[in-house]
Amino acid sequence: MRLIVNGAAHEVTAPAHETLLVTLRERLELTGTKLVCGRGECGACTVLLDGRSVYSCLTLSAACENRQITTIEGIGSGDELHPLQQAFIDHDALQCGFCTPGQILAGIALLEKNPKPTEADVRRGMSGNLCRCGAYPKIVRAVLAAADGNGANG
Amino acid sequence: MGMVPMAKRFVTTKVEIEGREETKVVEMPSREPEPWGDDAQLHIVGQRATRVDAIEKVTGVARYTADTQRPGMLHAAILRAPIARGRVTRLDLSPALAIHGVRAAVSIDDVPDVKIDGVRLLDQEIYYANQPLAAICADSLEIAQRAVRTIELEVESQPPVITFEQARDENGAKAKPTGNKHRASPRVVTRGDIDAGLRAADVTITREYSTPVQLHTALEPHGAVAEWVGDKLTIWESTQGIFMTRREVAKAYGLPLSSVGVIMHYMGGGFGAKNGAPHSTYIAASLAKKTGKPVRCILDREGEQTDASNRMATNQRVTLGATRDGKLTAISVDVTSILGIGGWLASPGKIYHELYECANVRSSEEFYFANTAAMGSFRAPGHVEGAVGLECAMDVLARELGIDPLELRQRNYSKTDQGKEQAFSNKRLDECYKQGAERFGWSARKKKRSSGRIRRGVGMASLTWGAGGGPPAYATVRINRDGTIEVLSGTQDLGTGARTVLAQIAAETLGARLSDVRTALGETQNLPFASNSWGSITTASVGPAVRVAAEEARDSLYEAAAMLMNTSPEDLESHDSEIHAKSNDKCLLFRDVCEKLGDVMIIGQGSRGPNPDKTTIAAFGAQFAEVEVDVETGIVRVLRIVSAHDSGRIINPTLAESQLEGGIIQGVGYALFEEKFIDHRSGLPLNPTIHDYKIPTITDIPKIDAFFVDAPDPVANHTAAKGLAEPPIIGTAPAIANAVVDALGVDISAIPLTPWRVRGFITTVS
Repeated sequence: MRLIVNGAAHEVTAPAHETLLVTLRERLELTGTKLVCGRGECGACTVLLDGRSVYSCLTLSAACENRQITTIEGIGSGDELHPLQQAFIDHDALQCGFCTPGQILAGIALLEKNPKPTEADVRRGMSGNLCRCGAYPKIVRAVLAAADGNGANG
Repeated sequence: MGMVPMAKRFVTTKVEIEGREETKVVEMPSREPEPWGDDAQLHIVGQRATRVDAIEKVTGVARYTADTQRPGMLHAAILRAPIARGRVTRLDLSPALAIHGVRAAVSIDDVPDVKIDGVRLLDQEIYYANQPLAAICADSLEIAQRAVRTIELEVESQPPVITFEQARDENGAKAKPTGNKHRASPRVVTRGDIDAGLRAADVTITREYSTPVQLHTALEPHGAVAEWVGDKLTIWESTQGIFMTRREVAKAYGLPLSSVGVIMHYMGGGFGAKNGAPHSTYIAASLAKKTGKPVRCILDREGEQTDASNRMATNQRVTLGATRDGKLTAISVDVTSILGIGGWLASPGKIYHELYECANVRSSEEFYFANTAAMGSFRAPGHVEGAVGLECAMDVLARELGIDPLELRQRNYSKTDQGKEQAFSNKRLDECYKQGAERFGWSARKKKRSSGRIRRGVGMASLTWGAGGGPPAYATVRINRDGTIEVLSGTQDLGTGARTVLAQIAAETLGARLSDVRTALGETQNLPFASNSWGSITTASVGPAVRVAAEEARDSLYEAAAMLMNTSPEDLESHDSEIHAKSNDKCLLFRDVCEKLGDVMIIGQGSRGPNPDKTTIAAFGAQFAEVEVDVETGIVRVLRIVSAHDSGRIINPTLAESQLEGGIIQGVGYALFEEKFIDHRSGLPLNPTIHDYKIPTITDIPKIDAFFVDAPDPVANHTAAKGLAEPPIIGTAPAIANAVVDALGVDISAIPLTPWRVRGFITTVS
């Protein structure tokens, strides 16, 4: 099947029941997407599918043929960070960093839908992404700060 | 600053780690720098520098253990016990081995004879549910997991020991052949005369509290990748202690330490659960040996939630006695703790001896085995459990006496460590009380209880925790020919920020730009020893070693620069990676000096010196909570937490506050909903998923104001820093519990304060 990941097309041969998480991590070696619960309870495997956030552990690769898949590796690099990545750094919105890729992709999807969220919107929008280190207060701040940046640019 | 090099010699010193004091042999460092006291002029230490490894984490390139890919790597899955007590009567691996893509299997005869929490690795005698019995490796994880389900297993079941009542029943079932009661029970510690203290009391209160099993729930599970090259073994491991893992693995396989390398670059949380090699490490290494290929063995979520350490459950019966004016005359506690099948004797009783001034204190602790997974260290083990009993009882006493809870604590302030009969290196708990109360608005709180369906309440609690760190810890600082600097130490960054604070200490000492410094850690082969990252010891242990190494490197650099600048080393100072001569205003970049030296390497070696004799080094704090309770549903919402801490000098306030917030949030979970459930009859875990075992989400988080009072502690060590990651979880749950009691006007006797439990407390009274 043909998967378009971070703008690049990949020909992948995988069983029909294989999840997008496994395809990304084990076949394409895009390990920024994390496995934590494997059943849609934690958000660590969040990726964007046609711009919307999905749990890649609950998404079949076969259902993603020819659709735009965006992982953490595709939204910014060390030279050119996405504003939300920069906001996570500036506000120390991470500790161990294991949930961070999922948090950032969930935040991007939230800001795409709602560019000017309130604090309550952020909490509701990010509530599907768990963090055990407890970076939550700073995640809220980072997403709100990135939203402020949206306003300045737009 | 001309330091006089000291003759190296070996001495002994005391180091406290998670409540346990150990005597360590320590080699005196090459020098003892001037302590960074109150008046130290520091430019990089104390700054809110961004985390040095944040870019790797926000871009997804940070490689964690489970992300490790090796050529030809196989994947392992574990067969686990379907019962809590009994034995295997038939184990046939052949159906699994017949599956295409399966490469090998291991059972008890294929793995080293090691014990984990007292149970032989892959033992066929079953001591708890989900105990590993065998393992398979295959070309993919999916094949391995499918193969495990085809293994033919027959077991003979016996009734398990699960509850306190079952464990204490001398005629009942035995968790293990040696019995249920740990032989060290009861462990009794006393000072003064408890009976005299109770006789001297005008008021005595007695209460019982129970605390639950809490699960670490690190998002990255335990796991390892093992690869043999000849007789050399490399382990990528999600661990808080690379050197401890190396020692255990080398011993198990009969290898010299130099033949085993352990690597941990990034780690998805530990919180105490990841000390030493667990089952998965040996399973990966044995399967790798058998197949000649690298093997990855990462626990699945159920394995992580049911067989990867936990905080033990306790029952505490507390008696406090005090004079009418609120002076404690007696503190007594009887604790029963359930260890599970093994673990260590974390002490809930210890904080009863430490927190307040009282001449007569007694703790008696009993520990029981049960057919449940072994307890282990979990963020401030012992103190978190004990603080619930002590601090909730203190509030009961305050009500009996009609004294404000904060006032009662202040009246019993301990100026010295009474238990050890020695001084504190420094103690600013008084400032924590004062500044915490101010920022919380404690004095303005309502004296009358609110009525109606939604009730508000406030509560507070104090905390202390041994956080002085100590030797052994080593570091090397190298300056390269382009002027970049490497800090090398075999410690770990679990997400705490160790990479960042160690770089700050080196940059400060050298007068270098922080961006020129890189910290390398997490590898046993190339880096000098540092101990496990536990007990909040890393900054106070490794930090001083880095400072000594950086001073030594700086002295060499200055010697070279002095030659090039026609002056003496004493004439030089540096900042922003530039060296200035005070006498002739000449200036050279680090890079200029090093380029001229070519490949002459500037290397400094540092180590952690001994702790001061007869001195208690501890962190302190005061935590305040406001809650809202719905009396109809029993739902508790924590509205805000103010948390004031003395942890010595703070190297990086932003990262330190992140640690405080993290500890507080885990404390909110412990107070309100985190609890492992086990079926009392079968012994099977009932909530082995993240959905059923609740950890706080972003919607559960109160407004948090967590901060440090200014309290550098130059007696503790020459960086004046103390530990800070564990303290914030200690007082959170009792502060919340006291706020709930304040809101409802009824006592509580257990946490977590789930809606059904809160409703129970309300209806018991009315």
